[in-house]
Amino acid sequence: MDIHDLDPETFLEEVHSFEFWFQAVEGYLSGTTWGHRPDAVETPMSEPDRDRLITVLCNYCVGEAAALEGASGLIAIAPNRLAKVFLSTQVADEGRHLEVFYHRMRDLGVGDPEREVERRASPSLQTFRRRLLELVASRDWEAAIFAQNVILESLEFAVFQDHARTADPVTADVLRGVVKDERRHIGFGENELGRRVATAPHIRARIGQIKNELDHLVLEALEETTRHLGMPRTDHERLGRAYLESVERLGLVG
Amino acid sequence: MADFLSAYSIQNWLESCPQGYLDGTVFGHGPGEQEIAILQTNEVLHEEAIRTTVQLVVGERCALAASSGLINSAPDEASKRFLATQTLDEARHVEIFTHRLYDLGVRKDDLESTIKEYANENLVKFAGVLLEKVDRKDFVAGVVGQNIVFEGMAFSVFEMMFAMNQDVNPKFAHTLAGTIADERRHVGFGENRIGSLIKENPDRRHDVEKMQKDMSYFMLATFADAFRNNASVAELERLGQERAHARFHGSDLGVLDPEEMEYLLATTVLKEFKTRLARIGIEYQTPARP
Repeated sequence: MDIHDLDPETFLEEVHSFEFWFQAVEGYLSGTTWGHRPDAVETPMSEPDRDRLITVLCNYCVGEAAALEGASGLIAIAPNRLAKVFLSTQVADEGRHLEVFYHRMRDLGVGDPEREVERRASPSLQTFRRRLLELVASRDWEAAIFAQNVILESLEFAVFQDHARTADPVTADVLRGVVKDERRHIGFGENELGRRVATAPHIRARIGQIKNELDHLVLEALEETTRHLGMPRTDHERLGRAYLESVERLGLVG
Repeated sequence: MADFLSAYSIQNWLESCPQGYLDGTVFGHGPGEQEIAILQTNEVLHEEAIRTTVQLVVGERCALAASSGLINSAPDEASKRFLATQTLDEARHVEIFTHRLYDLGVRKDDLESTIKEYANENLVKFAGVLLEKVDRKDFVAGVVGQNIVFEGMAFSVFEMMFAMNQDVNPKFAHTLAGTIADERRHVGFGENRIGSLIKENPDRRHDVEKMQKDMSYFMLATFADAFRNNASVAELERLGQERAHARFHGSDLGVLDPEEMEYLLATTVLKEFKTRLARIGIEYQTPARP
């Protein structure tokens, strides 16, 4: 039976389960090592390119660390068992992303990735991380889920997907695996908030307020990342639009 | 530290757990395996199976809250990543034991009320001591409470239950086998990571020792309730059904009476605590006997 034919309650029981997560990741992580296929080949990279990639990976790590801490904190305030189990799968996903990015940095010759992240982290991403954790700590479920599973995940989705197109083969492989996880996380945020907005319209206003507060941090972080990737300004604007449109498309704001 | 933590990476976890001993399982057991008929047909045994499984769900919900709560207070990224795998392990345990309740006939709508009705109050207090440390973002006490005391207890309880079920209820035994493999990893992390933190923070010893004593008391009280009020042994005798002669730490569980089983489990767990706590530089505190 197609899972989309299930009644809403059984559908959630299915898609928010460990079993579902396991079947999903088994499909694309099986046989990979540190997030990439063993046959993905390193290509020669100039020193400036390597340095730029390290900076970008450092900022990816800030985002993933925020997502790991955010998702784990959200488990405590999740309103039901299924949401807790789903968020646990997300916690493992975010931990994996952090791990594969750290490992990629080690492949690129970074001896102490943790210190490197501290050194190169974008201030706007750090501010975003702080604000996200404040929302989680204040037990503001809707606002925190929106910031985490819609805003942060949409930003990462747009950037990683784009970067995977131009990245070296190993980084591209790692990014493609991460993007597949992000898609699941965005789906959870959309589903969870969509149902709540439908029954409590005032939540839409609250979400809009959070979006207004966080959008400029996201766009600033995007600007910094695209600059480090050496992308032209037009690409930065295109990615910004992609992020805004992907959030808009969910129909949670406005 | 980095070398030891690399053994607890998500890569290793993926290879050993979902792609290893859980491969091919459905909700922790083999596809098609079912609960044994007598647990469905005999009212007393059915209720005891539900009561026991509820304690497992309560314990695993606590472990899920604790491991996820500890991520934000972990002092390094590698510990956060290990705790991410532990969070998912604990969520899986919540899920598989919840599914066992469904398999035993608990309706989804009645899940929370069933858990409320059967949850042992001493187990809830045991969890409360731990979660209070986690809420205060006390990483050292939280990891000792979670990965040494809590997981140490769970490990021995699951091993005893596994021994009792191995020959008579393969479905439940398989479910337990996967959780035992997970708990072994969790205990290992606790011992390895926390030893160095205790050395760096010797002033924390007193608090941690008090927590162990408090948790141990509530654990013993839970065991006392579970064994002394369990009607399964008497019911099996009434039915003239012989119990499985499973071995656990040198004893035949098929001939022990419930109080003897309680004593065997309690002494096994406390002995383990003593050994594991000594390894991390904590002096075991003897709890009062309920």
